[in-house]
Parts: sequence; structure tokens; C-alpha cells
Amino acid sequence: MQTKIAKIGLKKIGFWLLLAVIIIYLAFPFYWAVNSSLKTQAQLQMTPGTFVPRDPDTMEISVFLGNYKAIFQNGEFLRGIVNSTIVATATTLLALVTGSFAAFALGKLRFRGRKPALYMILAMTMFPQVTVLTGLYAVITTLGLDAIFSMILAYMLFTLPFTTWVLTSFFKDLPKEIMESAQVDGATPFQTFRLILLPLTAPALVTTGLLAFIAAWNEYLFALTFTSIDPEARTIPVAINYFTGVVARQEPFGETMAAAVFVTIPVVLLVLIFQKRIIAGLTSGAVKG
Amino acid sequence: MKKMSDLAKKEQKLAYKLLLPTLIILILIAFYPLGQVFYTSFTDKEFASSNETHFVGFDNYKKLLSLNIEELEPILNENGEQKIDPETNEPVYERPIDVLPREPVRYKEFKVFNIFGKRYVLGATDPYFISALGNTLTFTIISVFLETVIGMIIALVVNSNFKGRGAMRAVMLIPWAVITVVSARMWEWMLNSNRTGFFNILLDKFNLADGQIAFLSKDSLQLPSMIAVDVWKTAPFMALLILAGLQLIPENLYEAARIDGAGKVKQFFTITLPLLKPSLAVALIFRTLDALRVFDVFQVLLSSKKYSLASYNYFQLIKSREMGMASSIGVVIFVLIFVFAVSYIRLLGVDQNAN
Repeated sequence: MQTKIAKIGLKKIGFWLLLAVIIIYLAFPFYWAVNSSLKTQAQLQMTPGTFVPRDPDTMEISVFLGNYKAIFQNGEFLRGIVNSTIVATATTLLALVTGSFAAFALGKLRFRGRKPALYMILAMTMFPQVTVLTGLYAVITTLGLDAIFSMILAYMLFTLPFTTWVLTSFFKDLPKEIMESAQVDGATPFQTFRLILLPLTAPALVTTGLLAFIAAWNEYLFALTFTSIDPEARTIPVAINYFTGVVARQEPFGETMAAAVFVTIPVVLLVLIFQKRIIAGLTSGAVKG
Repeated sequence: MKKMSDLAKKEQKLAYKLLLPTLIILILIAFYPLGQVFYTSFTDKEFASSNETHFVGFDNYKKLLSLNIEELEPILNENGEQKIDPETNEPVYERPIDVLPREPVRYKEFKVFNIFGKRYVLGATDPYFISALGNTLTFTIISVFLETVIGMIIALVVNSNFKGRGAMRAVMLIPWAVITVVSARMWEWMLNSNRTGFFNILLDKFNLADGQIAFLSKDSLQLPSMIAVDVWKTAPFMALLILAGLQLIPENLYEAARIDGAGKVKQFFTITLPLLKPSLAVALIFRTLDALRVFDVFQVLLSSKKYSLASYNYFQLIKSREMGMASSIGVVIFVLIFVFAVSYIRLLGVDQNAN
């Protein structure tokens, strides 16, 4: 009896230990970034580096907020935030509007060519974006589009097929009777879509919209390429890669970490608020896909 | 009857109208550029240059993919014995540059190796591309493997009932949602080459190293560093996908197995793993295709020290302005991803499970 209890106890300890290791593994890089963002250049150069910001002489805890002040005086970084917000928001809206149109047609309407269209959308979700980098760049320079608009258009490449695919399966699951009864009441199919079905898909729209927003917010390859001739249009990922400090002459890791922490906070908040939706969206996109 | 078909016609018309914007966008950003890339890959087009563009057939592909192996003969001294370098005490062989062909294109040294006491050199017309291909494949195989194993462990732990499970699931999403460039820079600082970097502090504390390891400059440590960053960022995502699959497995199967006296390990291999196959397969496809086009971590952390296929593609386009060459790299990536996707779907039988 006693050995059995001991065995169960041991198992429990093992479980919590494993859980603790996982949490530390996932969270530590963030902790280290926060820790470093609160250090002065001198504190950052201490060897060995300390696990909390400490004064180099007295070794007492001393927190420095100058890095955060510096990033708010950094025009490039602030412009990056504005650009990223514009690009990600516009991408999300455009993907949702066009995607829900297409998804309504694919999920609820009968027409010739439905199957091939569906397969094409599914195949497009696996499309390697880097392949068309040169072609897209050529298209954009020929059309003379500016960098911001180019990014919005290019981001359709990975947001539109995904949005369409997830929303299609959502529309398909809505009961047929809704459409029929609306038709009986004299509504045209498009009215049915706009006034009845679209409000019903609101949760799916929020989910896919969030995923599209995060994907656009994170994108780097197209952003780096398209802004190479227009530094004014740099988004956050590009701006953070080119980060040069205002104060420090060396690699400004303190400021870079402050910027990293700062841009991560909204993402963390979004994730924490919408975690159920995001997980549902990710798994429905992947499991059903 | 006539009215019905009118309605059906109307419905069809509406469907086409609704699909039109999506179609136009996809033609503009996917199909047309893809055609353009295939076409340009057979030319010597340069970006933003007034040089005339010529059709060059398969020259770009030849230049990217040509390999050549030559034996390096030992260099003999007057007595007919192999010369020994007086400084390094190593036997002296011919220099690779003297044996590798130069016409019609020059082969450069990619790797020197020994088999059966003879020395050979592997030459490539574009050693950077060959190594980018090797780096990408190694990166993909190792990181996807590690992500699957670690993701599985995390998923199994989180799947058991405990307080704070919901919070744990939220925490798991965070690395996935963080901007890849940001996580790369966070790791860049942790991998710093002296004892200001976390890993050097750690290794130094346990007396495992001198605290001066240059993770991002030392050739043998560059790929492992990239893999570490990627695994950290995507293993939790993998775990979420696996977790969703785990929750589809009915609990009573485990109960039945327990009654039959099957242990935890046996349950895992006879119930969990087979039933998890569809979700695992989809997760593997997604991750593999993603890893094959890896760009962000390589570009941020290694820049032009070591390339992935995508970062070499970017380099050829932006730095070298070789549009034709960059296009053919794009095509190679496309073919590679296509082959991987098809063989994965065949191998794991996803298409049967999807329906």
C-alpha cells in the first residue's frame, strides 16, 4: 500500500517537473529579452551576464528604462509600427471580404466548376511564396505600385486561400434551410449572404481575420524585398532587423530587446484573449485541410 | 420547371461573380508571376539593367546544379615520395583549383574528402547553391523531426488533466505568434559569442566550455543554432495540432485497454499513435513545406555567412540582381516542395483520411 502511494506521488512529481521544464523552455527566451531590455550598455557588457539587471559595482538590482525611452524616439521604429498596422489591417480586411465572397459561392451555391475551384484553393494554401518572389517583384515594378500597396497585395498569396478554405467549410456546415426560407421570403441569394449568413459566420470571420492579421504582421521576405528601394515603408520585422540605436554605437542589443518586448506585447494580449478561437482556427485549417 | 433552371442559372452567375475578385487577385499575384518565373529562369535577365536579355535555355540550371568529382594526385618530391608540408606536417596533394574543369564554366571547390586512402574534390559550378540546398534539407529533416518529438511530448503532458491546463494552452501559442525576426534577434543575443550571451554563461557555469563559443560564426554550429531557434518557435505549434488530434480519440478505448491490462507504453503505440496518424500527417506536411522555404532565421542570423534556398534566392535577386538565376532557384524550390508534398500525401495517405 505504502509503496503504491509512493509510486503515485513519484509519478506526480515527475509530471509537474516535466511541466515545469516545458514552461521554462517556452518562456525563458522572453524572460531573457525582458531582462536584457532593462539593462544599460554597461550592464549588458557584464561577464557573466546577470539573470536580473544588477549594478556592475555594487551588484544590487538596478533597473534601467532608457531603452524603452530610446525606442520611442526612434523614428524608424515608430514608422515601422504604423506601416505594419496599415499593412496587416488592410490585408486582413481585403482577405476577409474577397475570401468570404468566394467561400459563400464555394460553400453554398451550385455552379459548374465548383470542385476544381475548391481543389485550386486547397493547393494554393501550400503555395511556396518564395518561388514567385522574382515574378511578383517584376509585376510590381511594371505596375509601379508603392511598397505598402505591394505588400498588401502580395500578402493575399498566403491569407486569401487560407481564409477562403476555412470559411468555405464554415458556410458548408450552416443548415440549408436558412437559405431556403430566406429565398421563400423573397430575398436574393446575395441578400441572404449579406444579411443572414455573414452575421452567422462572425466567429469564423474573427478567427480567420486574427490568423491573417498575425501572418501579415510577421511576414518578412516580401517586406524586405519590396522595401529595399523604399526604406520609409519598412514594416516592424524589417525595421527590427535594421535596428541601429540612437544612443549606443555598438550593436544596440538593449534597445533591440526593448523593441522586441514591446512589439510582442500586443501579440501576447491578442493570443491570450482569443486563444480558443485561434486554436480552433488553426486546427480546423490544418485538420480539415 | 423553366423557372427552376432560371434560378439555377442566376445562382451560377452569382457564384462566378463572387469568385471573380479572388480569381483576379490570384492570377495577378500567383499564376502570372509563376509563369513569369518559369520563363525568366531560361533567360539571363538582370534586374534594373539596360543589358539585353537573351534566351539561354537550361544554362541557369546547369550553372546551379553541375557537380564534378576529380581525384587529387599526391605531389611527389625528388625521391618519388609524397611531399610533406613542413609547417603542418600534412601530406601535400594537388590543389583543387588546378584539377577542376574551367571550360565552359569554372567549377569551384565544394568539398575535399578521402576514400580508400585517395583524395578527391567535389567541385560545383555554384558551391553556394549546393550548400544552400544541403543546408535547407538538413535543416528541414532535423528540425521537423525534433519538433514532432518535442511537440508530441508537450501535447501528451498538456492533454492530461491538471489545474491550469487552459493557461498552458495559451502559453503554448505565444512562441508561434511572435514575429519570427523578433525571436531570431532574441536568440541572437542569447547566442552571443562571449559570456554576455546566455548559452555561453550556462556552458561556462558548468565548466563545459570556455564561454567564448561563437555559435553564429563557427561553421559547425550555425545549422544547429538555426534548428534550435526554429524548434523553439514551432514545437508548441506542432503540439497544438497534435493536441487537437489527441482530443478526437475516444476515452473509452483507453479504458478498454486498461481492463485488458495494457500498460501506458503499449497504449501509446497501439491506440494513440495509429489514431493520431491523420492529424500528425497534416501537421508534418505543413511543417515540412514551411521548413523547406525557411528564410527569416537564416537571413537575420547568418545573412550571407550561410544560405538557405530562400535566402540565396533573395540574395541573387537583390544583391546580385541576377533575375534569371534567382528565377531558376525559385523553380528549384517549387519543384522540391511539390515533390515533398506529393510524396508525403501518397506515403501517409492523407487524401483518404481527408474525405
